[in-house]
Parts: sequence; structure tokens; C-alpha cells
Amino acid sequence: MISISPKALAPGSDTSIEKKLDLSNLTPEQIALDINKLNLFYGKKQALNDITMSIPKGQVTAFIGPSGCGKSTLLRSINRMNDLVDNCHISGEINLHGNNIYDKHVDVAELRRKVGMVFQRPNPFPKTIYENVVYGLRIMGENNRRRLDEAAEQSLRSAALWNEVKDRLHESALGLSGGQQQRLVIARAIAIQPEVLLLDEPTSALDPISTLTIEELINDLKKQFTVVIVTHNMQQAARVSDQTAFMYMGDLIEYSDTNTLFTTPLKKKTEDYITGRYG
Amino acid sequence: MDNLQIGRHISGQFNEDLERVINNVMQMGGLVEKQLTDALASVEQADIALAKQVLTNDYQVNAYEVSIDDECTRIIAKRQPAAGDLRLIMAVVKTIADLERIGDEAEKIAKVALESFSSSQQDLLVNLDNLGRRVLEFLQASLDAFTRMDCETAIKIHQMDDKINREYEALMRQLMTYMMEDPRSIPQVMTVIWSARALERIGDRCQNICEYIIYFVKGKVVRHTTAEDMKNL
Repeated sequence: MISISPKALAPGSDTSIEKKLDLSNLTPEQIALDINKLNLFYGKKQALNDITMSIPKGQVTAFIGPSGCGKSTLLRSINRMNDLVDNCHISGEINLHGNNIYDKHVDVAELRRKVGMVFQRPNPFPKTIYENVVYGLRIMGENNRRRLDEAAEQSLRSAALWNEVKDRLHESALGLSGGQQQRLVIARAIAIQPEVLLLDEPTSALDPISTLTIEELINDLKKQFTVVIVTHNMQQAARVSDQTAFMYMGDLIEYSDTNTLFTTPLKKKTEDYITGRYG
Repeated sequence: MDNLQIGRHISGQFNEDLERVINNVMQMGGLVEKQLTDALASVEQADIALAKQVLTNDYQVNAYEVSIDDECTRIIAKRQPAAGDLRLIMAVVKTIADLERIGDEAEKIAKVALESFSSSQQDLLVNLDNLGRRVLEFLQASLDAFTRMDCETAIKIHQMDDKINREYEALMRQLMTYMMEDPRSIPQVMTVIWSARALERIGDRCQNICEYIIYFVKGKVVRHTTAEDMKNL
């Protein structure tokens, strides 16, 4: 006979079957990225205010918020894309394996090898499909044909594109559809086996079916990589992510597991945003 | 309706959709309340015409349930409500299911009025009055709390069901005594028992409605919890 203690359903107790992570209390092994008191300024304008959060390993974390809230800025600061912006200065830390990526000694190229990024619009190089995928490996000095072939196949399989392109690997990547191009770009990003994959609105230029394919892919990718995604599509964040962070005007307003955030957000600002109300 | 904050969506169409649903639930609640009032009155006054009216009007309750359900499905498909809006829709869907069942119970009670009770047996029915009044009060209070989405009241009136249950048990003991004293009364007593049972079930369903209100406002599931746990919300 199954016996269930009445306490199991006490208010506030977790009724979900899946075990939730306690985001404020992760063990070092569970953390992929540890962001600590991050402030970012564009000139005099502060774009990020004192962001502190831990992004767990092997999970999908989504950043949502209105335009200009700092979510893309935060995402870009994870692989130091903001270094390319004039007048941008940063205080605070982002720790990858306990090492601050903003440390003076960090090699940015090496960092970007560990933290890959995919942008809003697919940006394949004007080369063949094959050359696009192995581009990063070639840059890293890999020239062994067999190893490149293996990596290309494996990455394209992981990006759920292999079956569609296996017979035309040496045709131009520009001949692919938008959705295929975006998956190709993801294959290119994962070919170099990064630890973290940053996706900046990866489906905003795609049709609904390609979007679903990418979402399905994100779900598979988290088995190998830590995925951080910025999206304007709240339902997408709800569908693909394990954790969601809501940002507003450079502040991290609420960060919790996605199920909680989309059913019972704690902060009124979050509630207003996700239900489409006037703030 | 302050708690609902329906009017603050950027999408005016969404505001209208939600308002329409809530208004329909209120109308349905009003109708169910009237059905129960009429059912109890028909039994009390042995008013066959009124009882028949309750039976024919039940279809309206069912129609409300179907149409609100439909509307909620449409809102979920088109608007993908989240957070408070989602909890509201879930609370509505569950509330109307309970209201529909309350309507069915009212129908059962009205059927008692159609049975022939001799004047000596009429006393039996008097026993239902108290319980009936209490249940009606509970239903009114629950609907009132639902209209205002008033969590405090919902928590407070949630306990009313305990009193109803106690009264129901007392009534059962009394009715059993009747049966033991005069086995010939058993068929009639059984009818009274069924309607007492219907009233007791209505109490449970009102309690459910209170739980949905608490779920909507606090986001906490309080089903299957103790009164002490609820106080700590």
C-alpha cells in the first residue's frame, strides 16, 4: 500500500515531481558561471546594475525582459563581446571554473573557445557547409582530414542538420534556408566543444517550424553544454529553459526556476511583464 | 475585482475576454445559488411546481459550464496566459466544474419535493432546513469571495465546511433513530438522507471554490492540507 504523509502537501512544499535546484545555494560543481556584482557602463550610462547570479551547469538559463533591459548586454559580457564596444567599462566578476574572465591574464580568444555564441541572424561564412563547421577547428590548428570529417559529422548531427545536408556538404552554406543556416551556425559553435553556449535571440528571424526545431535542439544541447539564451519570446523561454531571469532597466528583478517564474512569480514587475500588463 | 487587475493588460482584447469570462462565472454562480434556494424552498413548502422549475433550469447551468469552459480553452490557445492570468483561468475552469456539480446536487434535492410525503413524515424534511440554510450561506459566501477574489475571506469561510459536516453527522444519527423506531419510514428517510448527502457535498464543493481563490491569490495549493497549515499561509 502506498502511504503519503499529509505533510507532503503542506503549503509551500514542492509538489512538482522533478527536483528543483536551489539557485541561491548551488555547490561549486553545479555552477557553470558565477556572476558577481557585475556593473557595466556604456560611457556614463549604466547598463547593468550589480548583477549577481549563478548559472547552473548542463541546464538552459533564459534571460527575458523588455528591450533595453540589459539582457543582451549581460549575455555578451559572458564572452567579453562588450570589449569591442568603445567606452564600455565593467566592474565585478564573471567566474568560469572559479576564474574571473575579466582578469588581466585571460586570453579572450581562448575564452571564446570555451564560451561559444550564436546571434539573432544566422551568419554563415560564404564558404561551403563543411568549411563553415570546421572553421573553428582549422583556426585552432587542426588539419587532420579524418578528425575534421568526424567533427563535422558529429556537430551537424548534434545540431540536427546532418540528414538534411550530408549529401551536399561541399555546397555553399548560403544556399541553406534561414532555419538551416541557424542550425549550421550552432553546429559551427559546438564543433569546437565549448562549455557554454550563448544564444542571442536565436529564433527571432525564423519561421515557427524552424523555431521549434531549434528549440528541440536546445533541449538536446543541454546534455553536453550549458546553454544561456536571450529571447523576446516569453513562451519560448517558458518552453526551453530550466531557469529564467527577468531583467528590467539593468536590474536582475527575479531569477528562479522557470516553472515557478511563469506560474507564481514573486515580484510584481515580473508578473506585469509576463502577463502583458502596464508596468 | 481589484485583486484581478484584469483591466491592466496592454491588449484591450485580452481584458475584454477575461472580463467576459468572469462575468459569466458570476452569472453562473447567481444561477446556481438561485437553483439551490429554489430547491430548498420547494422541499420546505412541498412546492411541486417550483421543484419542476429547478429540474428544467438545470440545463442553463450546464450550458454556462460548457460555454465558459470553451471560452477558457480559447483564451489558453490564443493568449497563452501566464502567472496570475493562468492561475485565474485554472481557478475559473475548476470553479465552474464545481458549480455545475452543485447545480446537479440542487436538482437531486428538488426531486425530493416530488416524492409524496405524508404530513406525519413531513417532519422528517424539517431536519433538512438547518443544514440547507447553512450550506446556502456557505455557497453565497464562497461566490462573494470569488467575485472579489478575497483570499482572507476564503481562508476564513473555508472552515464553514467543518460545521456543515458536524451538522450532517448529527442529522444522520437522528435519521437512523427514525429508521430504527419505524422501519416503514425507511424509504422516506432514505430520500432525506440522499438530500442531506447532496447538501454535504455542496459544502465540500464550496470549500473547493475557496481553495481555488486561495490558489489564484497566493499561488499556493491548499488542497489536502490541514487548517493549521492554511493559517500559516
